[in-house]
Formats: sequence, structure tokens, C-alpha cells
Amino acid sequence: MAKLEERALVANAQAGDRAAFEELVRRYDRDVLRLALNLMKRPEDARDVYQEAFLKVYRNLHRFRFECSFYTWLYRIVTNVCLDQLRRRQSRPEDQAPEVSNNYQDEVGTDFFERQKEQRPTLDPERSLLGRELGAHIATAMEQLSPRERVVFEMKHYQGLKLRDIGDALGTTEETVKNSLFRATRKLRNQLSELR
Amino acid sequence: MSGGGHFEAFPNNSKGSSGSTGGSTAGNRRCAEISELLVFYACGEVSPAEKEQLDAHLAACADCSEQLAQERLLLESCKEMPQPADAADVTSALLAQCRSELAEKLDDLAAPVQKERWQPFGWLRRWMALRPVWSGAALVVFGIVLGTQLLPWLETANDVAGPAVNVLAAPKLSDEQLSKMAVSGIRFSPAQDATGQDIQLRLNAEQPMELSGNVNDSDVRRVLTYVVENGERFDTGVRLDCLDALKMRVDDEQVRRALLLAASKDQNPAVRIKALESLRDTSDDGAMRGILLGILQHDASPGVRIEAVNLLVRSLEQEARNGADAEESGAGHEEASEEASAAGAIRALTDLQQKDPSRDVRLRSAAALRQVGARSLP
Repeated sequence: MAKLEERALVANAQAGDRAAFEELVRRYDRDVLRLALNLMKRPEDARDVYQEAFLKVYRNLHRFRFECSFYTWLYRIVTNVCLDQLRRRQSRPEDQAPEVSNNYQDEVGTDFFERQKEQRPTLDPERSLLGRELGAHIATAMEQLSPRERVVFEMKHYQGLKLRDIGDALGTTEETVKNSLFRATRKLRNQLSELR
Repeated sequence: MSGGGHFEAFPNNSKGSSGSTGGSTAGNRRCAEISELLVFYACGEVSPAEKEQLDAHLAACADCSEQLAQERLLLESCKEMPQPADAADVTSALLAQCRSELAEKLDDLAAPVQKERWQPFGWLRRWMALRPVWSGAALVVFGIVLGTQLLPWLETANDVAGPAVNVLAAPKLSDEQLSKMAVSGIRFSPAQDATGQDIQLRLNAEQPMELSGNVNDSDVRRVLTYVVENGERFDTGVRLDCLDALKMRVDDEQVRRALLLAASKDQNPAVRIKALESLRDTSDDGAMRGILLGILQHDASPGVRIEAVNLLVRSLEQEARNGADAEESGAGHEEASEEASAAGAIRALTDLQQKDPSRDVRLRSAAALRQVGARSLP
């Protein structure tokens, strides 16, 4: 039923129905922004990805032939835009701005009482400290991944997509995605073991 | 360090040195194959058949079970790690901003393309709309400049005596131009190359122009003869000046015709006299004598008639000289008609001597009869 509704929305959007297109955007844009933020790390870059991706969708919607789900097609565009930006960033490291710190919420997002509440976890303090340190090391290790490995790891473990869907989104085979995920996991393990 | 024990959960060497298979080579090879799949087993990406085999192996292999635990711990640690999206978009402010910007861009894309319409002085209008005070001041200054500079200049441009444009290199004057022009001035100056007089004609046609040259210049001569032939359209002074200029080229048929026309038709006696004076040095071609006889009979001005008598005498004297030359050379076959014409002239002079109301004319006619009778007539 939902798929039928989505198909109708896409068809209407293809026919020029602006409201239908905006409905499609609202269905998926939170996930798109989340993916972009996690991959790009910087809000301004994520915002650029969001704009560029949805404008590409808008301009190329007439080419969508329902051969895959709209979600997959959308993610293919989003991941391609992210990969392009990550590659550009790699080739121009001088352009890199400071990324969002994991303490972003502490800095701008919440007030004092909110922070106190978060710093009173139900978990014991030692585990919380270990978790923070580990998180920092994992973030550093993630930086060593190639753009494609980062995208695959993100889509698999943070977006919860199946490898086949990731392959569809990236326009490649499931086997290629498996290789990327395996290499990413190995790199992370190696990076973390070096910190021992 | 306190976390050191924690990182030991991810040993680099994922294969334990001792397997549950007792460390046999075959067992190690099996564990190596299993190890490749544990990454996907931990995240639920193995087929049912693979899962069955893996479960069987893991139940019997402590090292692979340990490695699976490490894989799972790694994934859990990654998932527990705070993500930028969790921190940066807590209030969804970023999402709202993105949606707003996207909507604006979609509006731009959906808006019909405005055809760029050319608007004269569009930039000036925009500039003035944004700066009303400066625009007012600029308009006042513009008005002052227009009133004090441009309008007097326009009046000067329409003035007949105003500056003229030299059109020496201009194409020849057309009949239409000639019919519309007015000669506002004529000036003579000595020619630089001693070929005669240089003439500057100031014409007032569709636009003022100045024509420079001498009487040998066909355009200049054309204007001069036009003025003489159409005397009613030009001032007397201009007509007299033109006659002065043209007397240098009485040998030209067109000039002579114009002078004869002026002598017989011009309204002003002074012009008629001047035209006849200009013809003094020309030889009679037959047509002139007929016109002179007409002037003697019909012109109201005694001065004109006297000047016509003078010319007639010259003509008769010239005829007599030409007759003597012809007789000497044996060419006397046209004498009869020439004599008849001369006789007609004598009769006209005789009539004037007897009947002209002007005493001066009568006296001059009598003198003329004596003059030509003594030299040419028997």
C-alpha cells in the first residue's frame, strides 16, 4: 500500500506536481541529511549535499523508470554526491574546516541541566569513560577509510541497509560492497590494535 | 593506561595460535575461511547455508567464537559511538534550514523564465529609483545645462549666418538640392594659382553648407548659373555677385545662355545691365542678336536699352570684320542672310533713334548708327 502510494507520488511529481515532490522529500530527507552529516562530519557540507542531491533528483526525476525503489534511486544520488565531495576534500586537504566534535551537543545544543542529566548515565562512570575514549579512537580510525569504505560502513552499520541495497545505491554489485565492508572492518581493527 | 585492556579486545591477529581443532593444518585452514565470514556473520549478512556451517564450526572452535565476539564488540562500539548527525541536528534546525533553502531553489527553478526585455536607460531608471535625492539634483543640473547651452546652440545652428560645413568632397549637387537652396552669401578672393578668383558660396539648403572653388569648378558654375537663371528666388546683390563671377566664363554655352536669360528676364535693371555687360566679350552666335533686339523693343529701362545698343554695335562690328575676312578667303555664300540680320539691327537702331522715349537712348542709337554705318554698311 505504502509502495503504491509512493509510486503515485513519484508519478505525480514526474508530472510536475510540486506538492508530490515535496512529500517525497519529507519522507526521506531526514535520513539523507543524517547520512550526509555522518559522512561529511561538517553541517555546512551536509547542507550542500542535501541541496545538491535533491536538486539532482528534481531535475532527473523524469528519468526514473521504477526499475528500483525510489529510496534506492535517491540513495544512489546522495551517495554519489557524498563520494564526490569526500574525494574533492581528500584532494584538497587545505580546504578542510574543523569537523563537528562529538561534544557538539554539549557546546551548543543543550543547557546546563540537560548536560548534567546526560552526565548521569545509568552505566557506571568507568564504562562511560572507556566508551568515550573508544569512541574517539574509532572516529580517528574511521578517518583512515577510503570514501567508498566509509560510505559502505555508514550505510551498513548506521543506516542499517542490506548489502544488496547498498550495492544498488552505489550502482555496484553486492560482492563489491562486501569487499569494501570487509576492508573497512579490517582497517578499523588494525587502527584500533595499534593503539594498544 | 586504563583503556589498554579495552583495546586488547581487538587484537590485530584475528587468528588464535591454537584452535579447537587441536592446531592441525587442516583446522587452521578451516578457521581462516571461517574468519573471512565472521565480519558478515556479525552483521547478519550470511546466507542460511553459510550460517548453518558457521554455527556448527563456532560451537566447536573457541578461537573463532572469540573472534566473533570481538567482531560483535567492534560493531557495538561503533554503533554506540555518538554520530555527528546525533549531535549536529538535535533540534532539527539544520533540517528545517535545508528544507527552506531547497524550497527556495525549487521556486527559482519553477519560475517561468523572464524574457530579458530591452529597456532603454533601464540602468538609469534603477539608479534613480534607488537615489531620489541625487536624481533630483541631477535633473536640475541637466535642465540648467539644457537651457543655457543646448538651446542657444540650436538657435545658432538655424541661423543663416551661422557656421557652415565645408562640403568640398561632397557629391555633386542634385537638381532637388538646387531647387531648395538659398545662397546666403558669396565672397571672392584672389586665386592662389592665378587662375582667376576663388569663390566661396555660403548656401542655406537642408543644412548650411559652404561651397568653395572658382568659376571653372562645375559645381560652383552650376550654382552661379542657377542663381542667375532663377533670379526671382535670390537677392539682387547675390545675383550681381554671381554675374561678376560668371563673366570669366562667357565662352561656356551654359553661362552665356544664363546671362542672356538674366539680361532679358531679370526683374532688376541693374542685373539686366550687368548681364549685358558680362556678354561684351562674347561673340554673337545669332541667338544673342535676337534677344538684344527684343530688349531694345521691350525693356522699360533706358540703361538696359543703351547697354543692349552697345552690344548690338559690337555684334555688328564683329560681323563686319568676319564678313571682310570671309570675302578675302572667298567664302561669301552666307552674306545675304547676314546682311538681312544686320539690316534688321540697323532698322531697330533707326527706330530707337527716332521713337525711343529716352533721349539718352535716342542719342546712343544715333551714335551707334553712325558707328556701324561708317564701318560696316554701305
